[in-house]
Amino acid sequence: MATQHDVEQKIQQFRELFADAPEIGKKALENALHELRSQTSELPPPVESAGRVGARLGKVSELTIIVPLAPGGAKRLRAFLRLLRGNLSQGANKVGTLHTMRFVFFDNDTRLLFATAYDGDWDTYIDDFVAKIPDYLDIIDSSWDGWPGIRSPGAKDYLVKHQITAEGWYVAYPDLTVAEIQRLQRIGKAVDEFLDKIG
Amino acid sequence: MAQERETVADKIAAVREVYADAPEVGRVGLEKMMAELQAAAVDHAQQRAASAGRTGLRQGKVSELTSIVTFAPGGAKRLRVLLKLLGGNFQGADKVGTLHDMRFVFLDNDTRLLFATTYDGDWDTYIDDFSTKIPDALDVLFSNMVGYPPKGMRDPAIKDWIAGNQITADAWYVASPNLTVPEVRRLEKVGAVVDEFLDKIG
Repeated sequence: MATQHDVEQKIQQFRELFADAPEIGKKALENALHELRSQTSELPPPVESAGRVGARLGKVSELTIIVPLAPGGAKRLRAFLRLLRGNLSQGANKVGTLHTMRFVFFDNDTRLLFATAYDGDWDTYIDDFVAKIPDYLDIIDSSWDGWPGIRSPGAKDYLVKHQITAEGWYVAYPDLTVAEIQRLQRIGKAVDEFLDKIG
Repeated sequence: MAQERETVADKIAAVREVYADAPEVGRVGLEKMMAELQAAAVDHAQQRAASAGRTGLRQGKVSELTSIVTFAPGGAKRLRVLLKLLGGNFQGADKVGTLHDMRFVFLDNDTRLLFATTYDGDWDTYIDDFSTKIPDALDVLFSNMVGYPPKGMRDPAIKDWIAGNQITADAWYVASPNLTVPEVRRLEKVGAVVDEFLDKIG
């Protein structure tokens, strides 16, 4: 638990850091510091590493990959995503450890952001993808410049090379995996049905 | 929309055409998956990713916000140290009540920031939630970015600034699209009560 001394020291560091910030930043910091003082006694678990790369909070990790697109790659990937109406649930549900996933084109279609929230450790997660939906991955990732193919021994190194670990990572319910949320949904449904019957 | 009238067969043909000059690994993958893809494309039960409002995609009740913003001079340094000091402590975010997850990623030698969130419902409501509940925390974070309005989250130009830096995703997947943050929290409580009950009678 943070002591009063630690808190004051941290606040001092914040002030120094924002000494040359715009006025709006400095003012907001002073306002926010009041809250920080009252919050430090109940700190959440710290952000840890998701393994080889990426950040993890509790049981939930982030993967953020930015790749250059191959010539023609943006056009191919857009056509593919349009076919599925921007909905990848058929493939993604099979992975079973994936909370969210987004594909975002930027810099005039020369680069792609691929970002997910998933359960647990990086290596296990990539292995899950490889084992469960390798062909989906190859269709998508073959638009990425230099992609070696998911069954290639170089696939993981390629992903690591293009992944950037987040400096800040927040999850609203860090103790719940996808499987646990699904279990809770079933329990909630059963309880509602039970209450309806006796009510 | 013209796009709506395009048949699945048209879309399949378009995908085959653009994949004709894809690397072999992509072409082979596409052919292996073709039957499954056709089924996915015609599956009426499958929800289409919808708009989250002004910008962004929504799947069921859950939306994505993705923005890439240029740092102001000295901004990257300030934000990096700030995030380190916070040690991943975003208790302010709990107050918003509609935020599933949020990430800050530094790009291109600390010249740009990727800020991406997963949130409940409509874009306008979400931004309003942020600006009424944690305006100061947001000003501390985003005053490090180029073009941040002078009055920050209380500035009338704030929504235009946010929307102007946001890029709508081309695909968006959510494992539990029908669960908002409050609903997940409610289920957590129900689950805890049921477990306790089962422990007692077990």
